[in-house]
Amino acid sequence: MIDPDAEFVRKAGAGDAGAAEAIVRRHLPRMVGLARRMLGDAAEAEDVAQEVFLRVWREAPRWKPGAAKFETWMHRVALNLCYDRLRRRREVLDADAGLAVADSNPLPSDARLAQQRAARVRAALAKLPERQRAAVALVHFQEMTNIAAAEMLEISVEALESLLARGRRALKAELAGVVQDLIGDADGVPRV
Amino acid sequence: MNRERFEFLLDAYGADFRRWPAADRTAGEAFAAKHAEEASEAIRAAGALDRALDAARDDAIDTALLARRILRQRPRPWIDRRAAIALAACAVFGIALGYGAGTLAPAPDFDDAYFAAAFEAPFAIGDEG
Repeated sequence: MIDPDAEFVRKAGAGDAGAAEAIVRRHLPRMVGLARRMLGDAAEAEDVAQEVFLRVWREAPRWKPGAAKFETWMHRVALNLCYDRLRRRREVLDADAGLAVADSNPLPSDARLAQQRAARVRAALAKLPERQRAAVALVHFQEMTNIAAAEMLEISVEALESLLARGRRALKAELAGVVQDLIGDADGVPRV
Repeated sequence: MNRERFEFLLDAYGADFRRWPAADRTAGEAFAAKHAEEASEAIRAAGALDRALDAARDDAIDTALLARRILRQRPRPWIDRRAAIALAACAVFGIALGYGAGTLAPAPDFDDAYFAAAFEAPFAIGDEG
């Protein structure tokens, strides 16, 4: 298994500023994106990303390429930090936030409609159980392969597929209105 | 691939075959092509959910400030690499200079007896002159 980060991590651990910068450039947007989808809060997502990198700096000098890729380890750390925060706050985002916005403007512009859709999707994602949300975030939004995502969640590929299928079915039910609207625009041909 | 497996994978990964497991991709595409009529509704629904999810993408995450903050938190080695190189160069230059100056210095005119006399009574040298 070739780990594209291994050399950067080794150099960063030895104090190389350029290697540290490369790691941040490569992984920070993904860490923030994952945490945002898990937590639904931009500021908290930045805190999580910052905490992930504090651990990266701590681990880099003694990092040994082994069973897991560095990227996999980072995603695990980020997910665990998100789970901790979700456990602590036990807060359910207001799933009706998007609907409330929709009601306030009966003739929305395209931009407003897009905002409303995004808000509804975020609310629906926030309602998913944590593990299903993580599976959807990794495979759909982070565009991880099923094998990489399963490693990050420390489960089998079959278990990942089960989480994904349940998560996406729940999203389809929660977003039925949005999905029906979009079906009207569909060309019926899957992208290949 | 049978219909049940196809629909399960569609539920799990969506209508974009690039997200499907590599091992199932070709079979999935073949199934979709072969059973276009019966599969099209499920594909349309899965594709619509994909697009709905894409509506919530955060494509414009600006992480520049955060990146600077994170890089500032990086522990610095106790001495900067450039400073270490400069220090080592100074040391080498100093040693070379000291050695070179030593070999270039004129040989002393005094013989051993002169130095030995330095350990004797102070008047001993004066007596000679």
